[in-house]
Amino acid sequence: MNDGYMGRFLFIDLTNRSVSRPPVPEWLKTDYIGGKGFGARLLTDLCPTGADPMGPDNPLMFFTGPLTSTAAPSMRACMVTKSPLTGLYLDSFFGGRFGPEIKYAGYDGIVIVGCADTPTYLWIGPEGRVAFRDAAAIWGQNALEANRSVKQDLHEPEAQVVTIGQAGENRVLFSLVTCEYNRQAGRGGAGAVMGAKNLKAVAVKGKHLVKVHHPESFSEACRRSRSELSASQEVAALSQFGTSAAVSFSAAIGSIPFRNFQNQADEAAEKLGDTAQGRHLFLAKAACFGCPIHCSQMGAVRTGKFATFVTDTVEYESAAMMGANLDIHDIRAVAHLTRLCDEYGLDTISAGNVIGFAFEAAERGIIAAPAGVDLRFGSIDGAEYLLEAIAARKGPLGRLLAGGVKRAGDKIGKKASDYAMHVKGMEVPAWGPRGTPGMGLAYMTSDRGACHQRGFMISYELAGEPFEGKPVQAETLAGKAEILRNRQDYLSGTDTLVKCDFGAMGISADSYARMLSAATGRNADPASFWLIGERIWNLTRLFNLREGMKTEDERLPKRVEDPLPGGPLKGKKISGKDAAYMLADYYRIRGWDEQGRPRKETLKRLNLIDAPTFVYPTDFSQEKR
Amino acid sequence: MTETYFIKTNFDLCTGCGLCQLACSERLLGGYNPHRAAIRIRHLSENLYHFPVVCNHCRNPFCANVCPAGAIFRDAATGAVKVDSEACTACGLCQRFCPIGMIRVDPDRKAAVKCDLCAGEEPRCVSACPTGALIKVTVKNAAETEGVR
Repeated sequence: MNDGYMGRFLFIDLTNRSVSRPPVPEWLKTDYIGGKGFGARLLTDLCPTGADPMGPDNPLMFFTGPLTSTAAPSMRACMVTKSPLTGLYLDSFFGGRFGPEIKYAGYDGIVIVGCADTPTYLWIGPEGRVAFRDAAAIWGQNALEANRSVKQDLHEPEAQVVTIGQAGENRVLFSLVTCEYNRQAGRGGAGAVMGAKNLKAVAVKGKHLVKVHHPESFSEACRRSRSELSASQEVAALSQFGTSAAVSFSAAIGSIPFRNFQNQADEAAEKLGDTAQGRHLFLAKAACFGCPIHCSQMGAVRTGKFATFVTDTVEYESAAMMGANLDIHDIRAVAHLTRLCDEYGLDTISAGNVIGFAFEAAERGIIAAPAGVDLRFGSIDGAEYLLEAIAARKGPLGRLLAGGVKRAGDKIGKKASDYAMHVKGMEVPAWGPRGTPGMGLAYMTSDRGACHQRGFMISYELAGEPFEGKPVQAETLAGKAEILRNRQDYLSGTDTLVKCDFGAMGISADSYARMLSAATGRNADPASFWLIGERIWNLTRLFNLREGMKTEDERLPKRVEDPLPGGPLKGKKISGKDAAYMLADYYRIRGWDEQGRPRKETLKRLNLIDAPTFVYPTDFSQEKR
Repeated sequence: MTETYFIKTNFDLCTGCGLCQLACSERLLGGYNPHRAAIRIRHLSENLYHFPVVCNHCRNPFCANVCPAGAIFRDAATGAVKVDSEACTACGLCQRFCPIGMIRVDPDRKAAVKCDLCAGEEPRCVSACPTGALIKVTVKNAAETEGVR
């Protein structure tokens, strides 16, 4: 039966150079749909309790959803693994063209276990066969060079390739996986897991057709979704400017981080925004596979000190973290620093946060700058020096900072942890939470640490979006947990498809359900996204508790307890008392106990007691030549 | 004099999204795979440029010239160079001699597959294109496309 799935996973054991192709069980499709759902279930079932994230037992997984690779607009894929940065559940979503290719190769997901004894890359060819190839010659190359090298080595210009840069090779805890150009599985250190497996790249090219159950109703549902995208003003803004327009928005509402989040205001922000980028960088638009939004604004730095290179014009998170947060306002310099992150394979959010922390520690005299290096805010050379040191784990500063701000703060002592901006070890992204307590709660309770994509509460608190028809007060604490739960569940539910967060600004739950129903032939009700999302959210919770997460880990950085010194939200803070109130309210609404553990009746309601588990395949074998 | 048309590509507007390829493979083969569509996109310079490549429906079609089975012909109504899949032996010579990769033996169909300008209907690739990178252009003077073989 055609149902949008390919029906098989590809398991690859790097230690024994063997593979297995277990079928995707029907219960997994029904109860978890795909993407994040598959990831939550398989990580729970396949990763041994307490496994070293860098060890051979930690599975590194890529998952698609039933709509990935079809004409359903704005779909993505995800990576799931145990994070070396947080020690907890990690999923990281990416667009581009690698995700669809997994299905064209005949699989719904790729699960990589073990560890290669020498640098290796994987080639999953048109028949879906796996070759373990020597990567000695490309080990040491940056993430973009490695992409080119793999395609040349294979003589396959149309292969889709994921790579790591030097940062992943050196197991930097916030290193990422580059998913073709301009797209990354960015957060949480999946690149380090790949590097620890001695795996430089995975290349895929497939010739299978992806087929849906009801082609006509599927096309109709896709048309409906595309018209919803066309009607959305938010989507139109993304098509026109990408996320760079968020620079002026974030500065206007008072969320933009400035000097390691010392303030949430930046008077020079416009130098980093869409107008400045349009003038200095923009050349053309690019899109992820199958996406009509084309949020990528391609450009190039063509003159000046940093010329010449091609760049996706700097998206909001990078512009704010590498720009405002470091008090650097030359957009070409920010593009240059972002480009360095792309080459080394570093998450720009964590990297910008880590450098901000280092600049502040240096200005306070707590860490010493090496001779000839300026580590004050505004120093482009200083930022460049630190990026290189971190990626190579070079020198005392490189080694100190390669573990992220939590570990660096703990190691330095002297109250440095007070301005280490992280939750559960993951660095806070470019939306300062002071003045938006709901956003703070979202950071505290997100499954992967401080993340703005697990419930963007600022939309309600400062951008005027109503919740269920009613306006939401920015500073009120009561009711925030309820809104957040709703968003976390819905996003988790639709991250099974795997949807793009930007597409979701236009496409309704009803249209997602119509596309899913037509693709799979199983009737999907829009409400099921909330139910399945809640199931997944509780499952990742159980995983995190199993791996040692405690309720005291669910707290905001100390800095947010101090009032903001200026800007639109001057005086705003989130006190420990306020955070504790919201967290207790959140646990209660979730049906969890005071320690944040799901109660038995909650798990029962979600069919998580005695639920089926995914069994590790036993029929691994060597690929026949 | 008949009226015919072709598909003009505008690389400056192409975002590389591949919606054209999805629409094409869906019509041709009943499923989705851009590698098996009758339209290609070359992604260059780290995704700065995207070049859509469509069949030229040549006045001197190399694919038809080399076909030993005489299975490639021009459709008089649309001007499209088409494959008679009954007559095609899937030998692959056409694929080897088309310099722009616009004809291919499909592994499931066991026959050469190429653009047929959607048999005179609105081309699916043009309809699917969200940016105007593919447009349908009408040719008034059909004499220019006559005289093949």
